[in-house]
Amino acid sequence: MTMAVASRPRTLDTANLDPLQRWLAGAIEADRVEIKSADLLSGGAVQENWRIDATIDGGPRAGTHAFVLRTDAVARLPMSLDRPREFACIKAAHGAGVLVAEPIAECGDRSVIGAPFTVQRLLSGTAQARRIARDPKLAAFGPALAREIGGQLARIHAIRPPNGALTFLPLPEPDAVGAAVAEMRSALDKASEARPALEYVLVWLLANKPASRATSLVHGDFRTGNYLVEDGRLTGILDWEFCHWGDPREDLGWFCARCWRFGNDALAAGGIAPRADLLDGYNAVSGAPIAEHELAFWEILGAARWATIALLQGQRFLTGGERSLELALTGLMPAEMEFDALEAIAAIEAGRPIP
Amino acid sequence: MTARRIDADALLDLATEMLRAEVMPALPPERRYAGAMIANALEIARRALAEEVEAAEWALLDDLYEEGEGSTTQLARDIRAGTLPEGKARGLAAALRTLLIAELRVRNPRFLASRDVGG
Repeated sequence: MTMAVASRPRTLDTANLDPLQRWLAGAIEADRVEIKSADLLSGGAVQENWRIDATIDGGPRAGTHAFVLRTDAVARLPMSLDRPREFACIKAAHGAGVLVAEPIAECGDRSVIGAPFTVQRLLSGTAQARRIARDPKLAAFGPALAREIGGQLARIHAIRPPNGALTFLPLPEPDAVGAAVAEMRSALDKASEARPALEYVLVWLLANKPASRATSLVHGDFRTGNYLVEDGRLTGILDWEFCHWGDPREDLGWFCARCWRFGNDALAAGGIAPRADLLDGYNAVSGAPIAEHELAFWEILGAARWATIALLQGQRFLTGGERSLELALTGLMPAEMEFDALEAIAAIEAGRPIP
Repeated sequence: MTARRIDADALLDLATEMLRAEVMPALPPERRYAGAMIANALEIARRALAEEVEAAEWALLDDLYEEGEGSTTQLARDIRAGTLPEGKARGLAAALRTLLIAELRVRNPRFLASRDVGG
């Protein structure tokens, strides 16, 4: 995002941390919370992320802790969950044993810092996709990392409806692929630019729909860049705002889609390892194993989805009055995903494995 | 073919605008002429590139439709509805691929290189 972090007014007033300290003490049953430092973290164009270092006296969390405080996004993307709902998904995942920043407290009361916020434990590691993909030690740690990630994904997918804590998530349409294609078509209809190749891919998706699988909690943006790695090990899974009920293969296909390999095209699982490693980790944990050949359809669906999102970003530049070079450049990207999707379809029709 | 889109034209337009509004005022007097030349070059390139992509589109459309009758909007509609002209559906995927390559030559030649498509 090109919006400068400094251009937005901040909610948390670092000169007056008292209301937050008092609220936090109550929320975690401590006698006293003393915030030693509160630093704005980068990368939050639409929301604030603060690192909070605190000393806690009394209660179950007595000691020194580093937390992340996040406010709600001021401009959410369509389809994304608001902060309380995302937090509910994170709590469900944490409860299912998924490696995620421990959810600690949430506050809907604006009077504490000026906006609703949540508090999670701070995790270490980097989420920067290119740093992970270009790590000189990737060949050594990549396969094990992909297996670890696959196992985590299986734990997420073990969360199934009905779930009393997630009743706000709508159940999917019986024909989920048909609904996804209809949604993409309606986005295409709103765009000022026709995309014949994307239309072709959508026709192919409808004609090649696989039989559906049991509905699972789907992360919705599960890809390299949205998990943390430290010393080649997974430390946590991030960005839960696109969680929904759906087909578990959607997450696997999105993870492996060619557009998310960050220069390591031959390492289909997120640019870190071959697909087989991701699936080995997944199938070792999941009670509903998934075969490698099943992923192709979902990788193509992922390419079509990202092409559609990029097209919509470009529309914001063209007609939304946002004169941002970044939006314009994203708006040029659909051709890349369309090209990859056509290549994959051609491979499938020729009986070859997809790239 | 008249649909608004982000193409080389729109990008070069914005780049030229930024150059004129944000970069050139900050240039020392002896560099102003160089700045003006860059702006001029961008405008020339803008015209040339727009023609190249349009030529690729017309080549595809003229193959599918009566000379001068097709449009990408019509093609998109026909693909979705399955109403392409008789006998034209067979080579469609390859033709669309050719069109995307023409687009990507302008939009992102490095992407094409990463997919082993020569320039």
